[in-house]
Amino acid sequence: MTHALQLSHLSHAWGHSSPLFDIAQLSLLQGENLFIQGPSGCGKSTLLGMLAGVISVSHGQLEVLGQDMAGLSSVGRDRLRGEHMGVIFQQFNLLPYLDVQANVLLPTRMFPSRALAATQEWGDAQSQALHLIQTLGLPQSVWHQPVNQLSVGQQQRVAAVRALMGSPRLLIADEPTSALDEANQLEFLDLLLATARRQAASVVMVSHNPQLAHRFDQVFAMPLRGHA
Amino acid sequence: MMWLNLAWRSAWSRRQALAMVIVSVSVSVLILLGVQQLREDAKRSFSNALSGVDLIVGPRGSATELMLYSVFQIGRPSRNMGYEGYVALSQLPQVQWAVPIQLGDSYLGHPVLGSTPEIFSRFNSQGRGLQWAQGRAFADPLSTPEALSEVVLGAEVAKRFGHKLNDKLVLTHGQSSGLGTEHEDHPMTVVGVLAPTGAPIDRSVIVSLQAFEAIHVGWGMGISPSAFKAAGGAQQALDIKDLQPSSLSAVWVGLHNRAEVFSARRKIESLERGQLMAVMPGVALDELWQIVKVVENTLLLVGMLVAVSAMLSVAAVLLVAMAGRRKELAILRAMGAAPLALMGFVLLESLLVCVTGIVLGFVLCQAFLLLGQDLLRTEFGVLVQAGWPPLQAWWALGALGGVALLASLVPALRAYSLSLSDGLHPPSV
Repeated sequence: MTHALQLSHLSHAWGHSSPLFDIAQLSLLQGENLFIQGPSGCGKSTLLGMLAGVISVSHGQLEVLGQDMAGLSSVGRDRLRGEHMGVIFQQFNLLPYLDVQANVLLPTRMFPSRALAATQEWGDAQSQALHLIQTLGLPQSVWHQPVNQLSVGQQQRVAAVRALMGSPRLLIADEPTSALDEANQLEFLDLLLATARRQAASVVMVSHNPQLAHRFDQVFAMPLRGHA
Repeated sequence: MMWLNLAWRSAWSRRQALAMVIVSVSVSVLILLGVQQLREDAKRSFSNALSGVDLIVGPRGSATELMLYSVFQIGRPSRNMGYEGYVALSQLPQVQWAVPIQLGDSYLGHPVLGSTPEIFSRFNSQGRGLQWAQGRAFADPLSTPEALSEVVLGAEVAKRFGHKLNDKLVLTHGQSSGLGTEHEDHPMTVVGVLAPTGAPIDRSVIVSLQAFEAIHVGWGMGISPSAFKAAGGAQQALDIKDLQPSSLSAVWVGLHNRAEVFSARRKIESLERGQLMAVMPGVALDELWQIVKVVENTLLLVGMLVAVSAMLSVAAVLLVAMAGRRKELAILRAMGAAPLALMGFVLLESLLVCVTGIVLGFVLCQAFLLLGQDLLRTEFGVLVQAGWPPLQAWWALGALGGVALLASLVPALRAYSLSLSDGLHPPSV
């Protein structure tokens, strides 16, 4: 089995302060889901930044999608993220000056390999986008809507559609449900996980909310500072 | 293409602020180019203020002074040249025509120019001859004695005092308008009004040499004939033949062949025991223009500073805007855009803004010059040539483009450092 990610003795410190975290061992099989839990300030977001490749690895080993992140250049890591990952933030995922269609198709326009993946599976990128919109419970009418006319919940779903375009192998989600009300949180999460599973994508999600943990294959609690 | 499209959409969403920036850039370019082009056009117009005249002949002295009073009617001749000099130079084989110029009197502050009717066909400014708005030239007094009281007005004089054909007017002796110096014993009749040319002739009142002489008949020692008579002076009889002046202020000369201008000048200057001076108007006017070089350079400097300050404001506005665009940059970064790509993305926008501003400024400048062409010619005597700006303006535009690039780099570098430090997590604004 291939791994979506594998890390050992990964630590990170800003400047000369004591390490923010130090993780001895963590791995995730391709296609499985990982829930990273911890209070705010424990370094969850920094860890996500390292997985996504925007923060470089200084101590320890990190392999994402079979690539040694320490061995890749910053541009190489950006490329890996652009071609094979999808990222969802807590909110404000969408470019306000583009409509839903342009937002959703952006990854396939930035990276030809993603357009190719969508085309191979669905005929063209738009077909995949419309399919994902339906799967994530959005009406087809959002397609030409400006994003600021959508509710926060709809915006998060559009963000999920965009992240899943071109069938990435890893989805990185940073508190994607915390802007939603409680009833919507689980519904959104279930749809996201189910759709990712159908595309054989792994999902790594961080949240401070432990009630979401049972939906995941694997749960990792961030070690508290000084207890690592 | 994707980035260009994205940059365009992003810019369009902030179009109000960016439009102001573009306007400020284009206004600065308008000033810079306008100053350059007007400067060139003014210089050329100045040099062509009197075209078609190959030499201006006057008494030996300052060439600049001769130019100023004979072409622009500024200042007054301190000495005159002898009439015999005019007769002698007219007979030189190289000389095609010679038009005498007599100055000294004025009409309500406007210079009176005494000449022959030939002046109306010979005068040329900016390559254009004189046109008649109303009436005709004064006749030659030698054949038509009534011509002694005929006067032709320049466009500006007629407009200012509302004179029409057949109006009577009284000229003033000398340049003052003090008591007892009016030529009231010799009223003149308007027979023609010239169309505006932009040349100093618009401000002139033109009479025949003989008329100029006739109104002075009986004057002695600077006092009017009636006063002179009362003081016991002798009154002379009036005969047209006697109205030939003894001296002239200047003579405009046209040659058969312009290539002979230097030899003609030597010939003329050797006449009358070397009492005459002949200057080439273009050369003398160019020399005169050098005097205003400081003003010219100051204008250019001001134009440059305005342009640079506009570029700095572009940098400032776009830099401030970067704070609001951190989220946008983080979103693009999350989708795999490298910091350098984002820097290019922002640079693209700044450059679009600057280039649009520069192009708009250029178009505005040409449009204004085209629209203002007639006004500039008739009111200021500047013949503008809309079209490609002079070479110097291209240098200025190039320098401005360079400054624009530098100014654009400021927000772009900010985008680069922000996307590196923010990563996926811009501080929520």
